[in-house]
Amino acid sequence: MHRLSLAVFSAAMLVCTLSAPAQRVGDPAPNFTGTDSHGQTHKLSEYRGKYVVLEWTNSDCPFTKKHYASGNMQSLQKEWTSKGVIWLTVLSSAPGNDGYKTASEENAYLQQVHAAPTAVLLDPSGGIGHEYAAKTTPDMYVIDPSGKLIYSGAIDDRHTTELADVQGAKNYVSAALAESLAGQPVAVSYTRPYGCSVKYQGAD
Amino acid sequence: MLLALPVLPARAQSDAHAGVTAQHLTVRLLVPPAQLWPNQNFTAGLDFKMEDGWHVYWTNAGDSGEPPSIRWTLPAGVTAGPLQFPAPKRLPLGPLMDFGYEDEVVFPIPMEVAKDANLEAPLLGLSAHVTWLVCREVCIPGKADLVLWRQAVPPRPSLPANAQDQQLIQRFSALVPKPLPASDSVHFQSTAKGFTLDVQTGTKERSAQFFPLDETIVANAAPQPATPQSNGVQLALTKDQNLQSPPRQLNGVVELADGSAWVIHATPAALTTAKGFPSSPAVGLSGLASAVGFAFLGGILLNLMPCVFPVLFIKGLSLVQSSQQERAQLRAHGWVYTLGILVSFLSVVAVLLALRAAGRQLGWGFQFQSPIFLAAMAMLLFFLGLALAGQFEIGLSLTSAGGSLAQKHGYTGSFFTGVLAMVVATPCTAPFMGAAIGYALAHSAFVSFAIFTALGLGLALPYLALAYFPAWARILPKPGAWMEILKQAVAVPIFATVIWLVWVFTQIAGTNALIGLLGAFLLLAVAGWVLGRWPGKSSAAIAAAAVLIVAIAVQVWAVNTFGEQHTSTVALAVNADAPGAWQPYSPDYVAKQRAQGRAVFVDFTASWCLSCQVNERVILDSDAVKQQLQASGVALVRADWTNQDADITQALAALGRSGVPTYAIYPADPSAAPHVLPEVLTKSVVIDALNSLAASHQQSASLSRPTN
Repeated sequence: MHRLSLAVFSAAMLVCTLSAPAQRVGDPAPNFTGTDSHGQTHKLSEYRGKYVVLEWTNSDCPFTKKHYASGNMQSLQKEWTSKGVIWLTVLSSAPGNDGYKTASEENAYLQQVHAAPTAVLLDPSGGIGHEYAAKTTPDMYVIDPSGKLIYSGAIDDRHTTELADVQGAKNYVSAALAESLAGQPVAVSYTRPYGCSVKYQGAD
Repeated sequence: MLLALPVLPARAQSDAHAGVTAQHLTVRLLVPPAQLWPNQNFTAGLDFKMEDGWHVYWTNAGDSGEPPSIRWTLPAGVTAGPLQFPAPKRLPLGPLMDFGYEDEVVFPIPMEVAKDANLEAPLLGLSAHVTWLVCREVCIPGKADLVLWRQAVPPRPSLPANAQDQQLIQRFSALVPKPLPASDSVHFQSTAKGFTLDVQTGTKERSAQFFPLDETIVANAAPQPATPQSNGVQLALTKDQNLQSPPRQLNGVVELADGSAWVIHATPAALTTAKGFPSSPAVGLSGLASAVGFAFLGGILLNLMPCVFPVLFIKGLSLVQSSQQERAQLRAHGWVYTLGILVSFLSVVAVLLALRAAGRQLGWGFQFQSPIFLAAMAMLLFFLGLALAGQFEIGLSLTSAGGSLAQKHGYTGSFFTGVLAMVVATPCTAPFMGAAIGYALAHSAFVSFAIFTALGLGLALPYLALAYFPAWARILPKPGAWMEILKQAVAVPIFATVIWLVWVFTQIAGTNALIGLLGAFLLLAVAGWVLGRWPGKSSAAIAAAAVLIVAIAVQVWAVNTFGEQHTSTVALAVNADAPGAWQPYSPDYVAKQRAQGRAVFVDFTASWCLSCQVNERVILDSDAVKQQLQASGVALVRADWTNQDADITQALAALGRSGVPTYAIYPADPSAAPHVLPEVLTKSVVIDALNSLAASHQQSASLSRPTN
C-alpha cells in the first residue's frame, strides 16, 4: 500500500512536470532558457530584479507588420529598454512555417526594421511558446522584478492590421509597466491577445 | 499586400462592383431587391467564397483571427443593421482553436428604408467598406469598397427581386443562431476545471457544441465532452486559465446535433435538483413539512450511528453525574447541549451556503474532504481520548458531581458535547437524512436552516427528553468508582475513531503528510503529560498550550508541504482493470455504458463515510450480491467522493442527494430515470432492485417488439 502510494505520488509529480500548464497572471512566470539570434543564452531567472517583456513575433504576420511598419514596436522597445526593462522578442515559428527565420536571416531583418529589443530568442521547437501558451503574434507578457507575471495579452486595444490604428490605441504593455513602476496595481492585467496564430510545429 | 480597391460608381443596375476577387477569396455584396421604395424591409448579405482550406472568422474569432467588419455609406433614409453571424465551426490549429467558416459564408444584414424616406435621386448608391482577415497557415488581411446601385421607385416596385441572391441569403439566415425558446432553459455551474452547461430542450440531445460570445472566459481549444440527458444535454467546459471568478452569465451559441444553433445567456444554476430527473420513489419528499419531519426523524436516528455513540456515552456519564442535581439545572444542561448542536450545525450550513454562493461544488460531508479539517478532528479526538484514559483531567471533572466547579464548567462542557456530537455525526448520514439534506441545499437558505434546525433538534432529543423526565434516568446506577472505569473505557471507541480519521487523512493527504500528523500526536501526548504531571498550575497550562500550538503548526506545515491529492481515486483507477471490478466514475463512462444498452450501478462513496464502508464490505462485497450483480450484467461504477469532485457532486444533485452513501441504478434506457436505493442497504434490497430492473427491461423489450 505504501509502495503503491509512493508510486502514484511520483507518477503524479511526473505528470505535473511533463504537462505545460498555461500561465496565469499573478503567478510566477515559468523560467526558460533560450538562445538568441547571436547564439547567446538567456535565462529568465538571470533577469530577476528587472522587468521583462516577452513579445511573440512573426515578421510575415500582418498584425506584427502593423506594429513594425508603423515603428510602434521599435519605439516601445527603445523606450522601455532605455528605462532598464529587458525586452525579449520570441520567434516560435517552426521551420517551414510562416515567419521562420534562421539566426542570420533574423539579424538581417532586425537591422532592416531597426528593431531594438534586448534580444530575439529563436524558439523553432515552440518550447518557450508552449510554456507560456502564447497564442498570437503579437502576444505580450510583462514580468515584474520578483518574477511574477503581471500582464498577459494584446499589445493594445485596436484589433486591426491598419497602420493608422496605432495612433490613439491604448497600449496595455506600456500601461502595465508604467503602473507597476509607479507602485500601483496593473489595472488591465489580462486581455485576449489578437493577431495571427503562432505558427507552431504541427500547426499547419 | 493590403488590398485597396477604390471602386467608382458604375452603370445603373449593374452589380459589377458589388464583388471583388481578393487573395484567397471572393467577396460580394448581395442586395436582392432591384428597386428601393419607402417603408421597405429586406435582408442584404455579405458573401465570402474562400479557396480550399482558407477561412474567415466568427464574431468571437477564438484564439487568433478577427471577424470581418463592414462600414456603410447609405443614402438618407436607408439604414443597415449589424452583420449577423451564422453558427461557426471549430477550426483547430495545433494547440489553438479558432471559430470561423470555410468554403462559403453569407453574413445576413437587415436593411430598412424609412417610411418617410425622401428618395429623390433616381439612382441610390449603397456602398460598404469591408475588411476581413482570411487565414490558412498564414493570415492575410483584406479590404474592399463595394458599391451597389438601385433604382428609387414610388410606393410599388416594378421589377422582381433577385431570387438567386435571396435564396442564398435565406440559406445562411437559417444558420444564424436564434434566441432560445422560452420553454427551454440553460444554466451553468462552476466546477474546479470550468463549467458544466446544462441545456434543457425537453428532448434528449445526442451532442452539442458551445461557442463562447465572450472572450477570455472559456478555454477555446479544450474539448467539450457532451453528456446526453433525458431532457437535453450537458457540456463540460474548461475555463480560461486567467479567469479569476465565475462570470455572472455564460453567453454564447449552442449548436445541437441536428445543426440548429441557439443564442444562450446561461445563468448560474441555483443548485438545480436537475429538472427532468423525477424524484425517485425512495425519496418521495413533497414539501417543506415532510422534509422537516424526515430531518427530525433522521436526527433521532443519528444517535444510534456508530460514530455518534461514543459521544452519547460521554453524555450518558454526565447524566449520571447530574442526576442528583436540581431539575431546572438538568433542563438547562439539556438545552445548552441542544444549543451546542444547533449552533455547530447551523454554522456549518452557513459556511456551506456561502461557499455555494461563491460557486464551489460542495455537498454535505465536504469538511471531510479537507486534510486540515481531518487532522484537526483527529488531534481533538486524540487529546480527548488521552483525557478520558486518565492522562490528565480536563476542566469538566466527571467524578466530582454537584460542586460549584462542575456547575460552572458543566454548561461549557454540555455545549461542547453538543458540538462534538454534531461533528462526529456529520459523516453518518442516517436513513432519510441524505434526502432531507439534498432537499435543503436545493432550496432557499431559509429552508436549509429550517431543515438543519429540525435535524439538530432530532439529534438532541433523547438527551433533552432525559433532562425533562429524570425519572427515566433512575434506571442508571448510582455514581461511584465504576464511573472512572467507564470513562477510561470510553477512550477505546474514541481512539478507534482517531484510527479511522487517520486512515481517511492518509487517503487524502498521502503517507508523507501522515508523519506530520503522527508527530502532532506525540506533541499532544507531551502536552497531556505536562497537564497531568502538574495539574492546576498556570505555568504548566501555558507550556501545554505552547506545545499544542507547535503541534498544530507542524500539522499545517506537513499538509502544505507533503499534502497530495487524488491518491485514492488514482489508486482506484489502477485497480480497475480486473473483470467485474468497479470502474471509477465519469459521466462519460456512464453515458457510454447506457448507450451500449447496459444498466449502470453507481456506488457513491467516500473513505471518510463509515456507513459507505459498512455497506460495501457487508452487502455489496457479499457473495450473494456479487453473483447477482455479475449475472444481471450491470456496469459497476464507484464514484469516490473522498476528495472534492464536481462531476460527482452534480450527479448526486441530479439524484436529489447531497451526500454519501447514495446508491443509484441507471437503467440502460437513457431516458429512464435512475432508481435510487435506500442508504442502509440490505442484500435483498439490492437483489430485488436488480431483479425489477431485469423485469422492466424484458417488459419494455416485449412491448417494443410489436411496433418493430
